[in-house]
Amino acid sequence: MLRLRPSAAGGDLGVSLATSAREGSGLPAAAPETMEEAAGLMANLPAGGDRIRIRGGGSHRGIGYPVTSDVVISTSRLDRVVAWEPDDLTVVVEAGVLVAELEQMLASKGQTALLPEQPGTGTVGGAIATATSGWRRHRYGPIRDRVLELTLVSSDGRIVTAGGRVVKNVTGYDIPRLATGSLGAMGLIARVCLKLWPVPQASATVPVESPEEALEVAYRPLAALETREGAAVFLGGTREEVAGQAAALGAEPVPGLNWPSHPSGAVRFSVRTPPSSLRGIVDRLDPAWTYLAQFGVGEVTVAADEVGLGELDELRRRAESLGGALVMLDAPAAVVGAFDPWGTPPPSIEIQRRVVNLFDPGRRINRGILPGRI
Amino acid sequence: MIPSLELEFRDRLGDEQVASDPLDLYVFGKDAGLVRGEPGLVVFPRDTADVATIMRLAGRHGVPVVPRGSGTGLAGGAVTTGPHVLLVTTRMNRIGGVDVENLCVWVQPGVINLDLSIHTTPFGLHYAPDPSSQSVCTIGGNVANNSGGPHCLAEGTTVNHVLAMEMVTPDGDIVTVGGPAPDPIGLDIRGLMVGSEGTLGIVTDVLVNLLPNPPASRTILLAFSEVQHAAATVSGIIANGLIPAALEMMDQPMTVAVERFANAGFPTEAAAVLIAEVTGHPSAVDAEAELVRRLATSHQATLIRIASDEAERKRIWLGRKSAFGAIAQMNPDYYLHDTVVPRTRLVEAIEQTYSISKRHDIPMLNVFHAGDGNLHPLMSFDGSLPGVMERVDAAGKDLIEMCVAIGGSLSGEHGIGMEKRDYMHLVFDEMDLDAQARIREALDPGGRLNPGKIVPQGSRCFDFGRPPPVGTWV
Repeated sequence: MLRLRPSAAGGDLGVSLATSAREGSGLPAAAPETMEEAAGLMANLPAGGDRIRIRGGGSHRGIGYPVTSDVVISTSRLDRVVAWEPDDLTVVVEAGVLVAELEQMLASKGQTALLPEQPGTGTVGGAIATATSGWRRHRYGPIRDRVLELTLVSSDGRIVTAGGRVVKNVTGYDIPRLATGSLGAMGLIARVCLKLWPVPQASATVPVESPEEALEVAYRPLAALETREGAAVFLGGTREEVAGQAAALGAEPVPGLNWPSHPSGAVRFSVRTPPSSLRGIVDRLDPAWTYLAQFGVGEVTVAADEVGLGELDELRRRAESLGGALVMLDAPAAVVGAFDPWGTPPPSIEIQRRVVNLFDPGRRINRGILPGRI
Repeated sequence: MIPSLELEFRDRLGDEQVASDPLDLYVFGKDAGLVRGEPGLVVFPRDTADVATIMRLAGRHGVPVVPRGSGTGLAGGAVTTGPHVLLVTTRMNRIGGVDVENLCVWVQPGVINLDLSIHTTPFGLHYAPDPSSQSVCTIGGNVANNSGGPHCLAEGTTVNHVLAMEMVTPDGDIVTVGGPAPDPIGLDIRGLMVGSEGTLGIVTDVLVNLLPNPPASRTILLAFSEVQHAAATVSGIIANGLIPAALEMMDQPMTVAVERFANAGFPTEAAAVLIAEVTGHPSAVDAEAELVRRLATSHQATLIRIASDEAERKRIWLGRKSAFGAIAQMNPDYYLHDTVVPRTRLVEAIEQTYSISKRHDIPMLNVFHAGDGNLHPLMSFDGSLPGVMERVDAAGKDLIEMCVAIGGSLSGEHGIGMEKRDYMHLVFDEMDLDAQARIREALDPGGRLNPGKIVPQGSRCFDFGRPPPVGTWV
């Protein structure tokens, strides 16, 4: 269980890598305890050995182009809850705090950060670096909408904060939003302030035949999900609302939110399309694959033990022609070598490259991981 | 430099798209804030190609371009800091076909906010951000300032409702950022553009998200004999797990002014009036309205009135949204401030606002988005009297410093512009400001767009010995 702890004071700058544990990758690794320590560590790496890989909980390791690095910086000891203001609906946490532990703490006062509901070993920093939203985004929007303030530690040792600890703010450029999904390329995401929401008084899971038809009936439910096992609409609100909405759906509600499991397999990918085109994508999935489709949002997460590159290519072409994407989440080396993890780079790729190069001069953190091999 | 540029503009765009009369330059020299500038030239593009042409021609002459919508901004964001080209988007006002399946629509930046929601009404849809100026402000201006409005408490501000945009870069290139599908790959440049006040690119088309109109709503008018009781009711509602669609507060001086102007039925003897609106499923709103009623009762509300029909609901909102019109009847000038504090510090912020008002002898009326701690003290004065503008400036400075001191920020929804640029150091240290300047450098390295806004001069301090790029206006 997490407890509030004040931020650790400065600490020694520059933990010795030699004395740190080596992680599984065989690379020297360090787990700084403070942002200042992380800054000193990254800024003082020797030339020729200064390519950095950031590691959080390890649950999103497969995203992006493979990264060649000399050292690994883990956020595991940046694990403090710095401030929690329940009445202001904000919480400030360091990147290494586990999503599961944070949500458990927030639930003790009936609040949630709407982070992914089945995070496994995932950290808050990892969810933000990969822009991984929870299932409830249909009602509350993506994770980007909740990062109010964000602190980056750059590879040249700068500690940069943007945004603010208020729920509504337009003071300076929205660097928090830009860094959400940046995969660490703008700097180590070290600390964030998140906007919280009250947990609704009542909730229910309503099995339905067709999530599309259910979305025509239900008014802004939390989620409408479908897997090979079936589909359900997830409701939250006052007791009266949940009962009323379930009645309108004409099905027997099961109390609580019984989220389906993540699809698992050797290969995992996400297909994103405009919401109305999702059924067309789901219908094209190989019957041997498992999936979890978010109707009303326009994303389906797919898992398979075997995939044909031709099948993937065709799905990607279709998604991209609709203005979406097919993004690899995890795949064996053979697939990664043969199938681009991101697909066609967006038109703003040169702007993105300039931003990253100015935030991480020399491109030392997770170099080449982003679309366009930025 | 400008005369030859003007000839090129007239040649390429046509005379009706270029204005250079002294009167035009004077009229377009100001937004709704206090600062005045004088553009060198005003241009009115009709489409994206015109904007690209303007950027290229101006770039060739080394003259910066400043975008402007209706000019309702309050922070000088659309005021030129030199004889620059003022690019007015109001003729780019087309609304595309509504995509009822994906709940979105492309709109040009000059479209008026309210016109968009009127346009989507037949589809049972609306565009959520609803600034009080929505009958005149443009979508482009809303994007530039990440505008909110009374209904952004539950639904979020502009950035939460923009899916994609087409923009023209300082070099005159046309780029689309974001898209109709969730989580476009790469960095979220779309999100960065929202709130960037026209300093990073000129937005020429916006794909906005539309929301289904709520099937039911209840609008509740509450009055209290003390501001603290109103604030405690706000906190109580949120602590009970309810985020209403809107939670708006007005203090007594504001209520008196509004009532005289709009006859909305507001109780003028109350120290604070609170408007709470709950929206949603028909089975939800009565229970939520009952919760609001119960909490207001426990915090000694002197009036609890649930709007009985749509006409009454509209009258309440008309009253709230005509606050600024009401002020215009009191004095020749008004100035609307915008700061944010953590919601739990609201009462303290209001009390301090009253003492700042007294100290500088500038009447302040308060209207605010109580649910998210967004304050809008409104100063009413006659700027032609000697010494008054100095007192207005000093009071504004005190307000900003007070809000920052209690954990707040410089602006909730009006932007930094010119007016608050030099206060940025109150919330950011030099490395933070350097990062802000890096964003600017990444997207507009030549300083061609809206110079002198948001980022204080000299912020780019962690790279030494670098001369300013050619074409930079300092």
